[in-house]
Amino acid sequence: MTEADPRSNTHNRKPGAPSRRAGLLAALVAVQAVCAVFFVVDVTADFTWDGADVHTAFEAVIAVALVLGVIFGALEIRRTLDRIRRAETALSIASGALAEVIEAYFDRWGLTAAEANVALLAIKGFEVAEIAGLRGASASTVRVQLAKVYAKAGVTSRTQLLSVFIEDLMGEDLIGK
Amino acid sequence: MSQPSDTLSGPVIPPSKGVNWDPVVRVTHWVVALSVVLNGLIVEEESQLHNWIGYAVLAMLALRVLWGIVGTEEARFSSFPPSLLKAKAYAQGMLHGEHPAQRSHNPIGSLMVYAMWGSLAVVIGTGIGMEVFDIYEMEDIHEVAANLVLVLAAAHVCGVVLESRLSGVNLIRNMTIRTRSRGPE
Ligand code: HEM
Ligand code: HEM
Repeated sequence: MTEADPRSNTHNRKPGAPSRRAGLLAALVAVQAVCAVFFVVDVTADFTWDGADVHTAFEAVIAVALVLGVIFGALEIRRTLDRIRRAETALSIASGALAEVIEAYFDRWGLTAAEANVALLAIKGFEVAEIAGLRGASASTVRVQLAKVYAKAGVTSRTQLLSVFIEDLMGEDLIGK
Repeated sequence: MSQPSDTLSGPVIPPSKGVNWDPVVRVTHWVVALSVVLNGLIVEEESQLHNWIGYAVLAMLALRVLWGIVGTEEARFSSFPPSLLKAKAYAQGMLHGEHPAQRSHNPIGSLMVYAMWGSLAVVIGTGIGMEVFDIYEMEDIHEVAANLVLVLAAAHVCGVVLESRLSGVNLIRNMTIRTRSRGPE
């Protein structure tokens, strides 16, 4: 793609508030985790040396609460990050950057350069024989590469491969993650 | 790398820019790294501070384990299972200048990460054994494992720098600066 590509406008987007929120949450949960460990260790030590008493029991309750807090905090961060990523994906598509989305998926699936190229041609609707001709490879090579692409993407057909991107276009999960 | 894309007016696939690590991975990483340096090289071993720093590392490891189960896709353990075979294949690819895009730690990095976590767990376990349960026989194991962590960490940093150079993916930036723009620089 050339520099004149209008979609380059989207490249300098700033991280924005939700991403800051996720970072802040992560820092808070980290502090909470430290507190949780202090209490758990303290309760364990008290219990080992002094046995169970009201004081230890009280501390144990706090320890459990802190641990639960960390778990829910982590889940909340996960939700926030998912939301950010969905929004980013939707925005990229809205700005006509489907290519970027496809590239991100190829990246995530860990496709090799050759596989990515074959996959792209397949998405564009080229038949195996045509892809082989374009790439100067044999049809069987292309078929093997396509099979690898499907396996890495967790799909079984070209239609399903396409639907992965369509899914993002519609902003909803049709196939489970 | 022949790219027929030019003739098809399709996008040329740019080289991978690597995994943009999430804030939980970053926070836990840098707290662990700082604490290991402090406890292993700087802080007085018998001080209370040494124990507190050690507990902070335990907290980060626990959080990271939780995150490895419920976290983002790239942070999950299932995204970087330890595999000697894959590591060997990856090393051979490296010799041929291949750097396939990664969705998480690369297979060699993955082995290193588990090795560091494992030895850190031993260091912390024996530390707590001494401090909380008065089992001072553990001191030697504690020391050996702590030195192992330091050696692994040094190798880890060399590996990260080397891989960044070879693959052209700035791994360190992906672990430090908050969010990278998605497009080409
Ligand atoms: C990142 C984690 C840690 C590192 C890198 C680390 C490192 C070290 C090192 C290098 C020593 C010196 C060993 C020697 O010369 O005998 C030491 C001693 C010790 N550490 Fe740790 N440690 C860590 C965590 C902990 C934790 C979590 C505890 C306990 C809560 C702990 C308790 C101790 C004790 C009690 C000693 C022995 C002090 C003495 O009596 O000489 N450490 N540690
Ligand atoms: C000194 C003690 C250090 C320890 C114990 C350590 C440990 C680790 C661990 C456990 C991970 C895996 C992170 C995760 O998945 O949660 C990791 C990743 C990473 N560390 Fe460190 N680290 C240390 C220092 C450093 C330093 C100084 C740098 C920078 C120069 C660095 C750069 C990185 C990078 C870039 C990654 C991600 C690698 C990838 O993309 O696969 N680390 N480190």
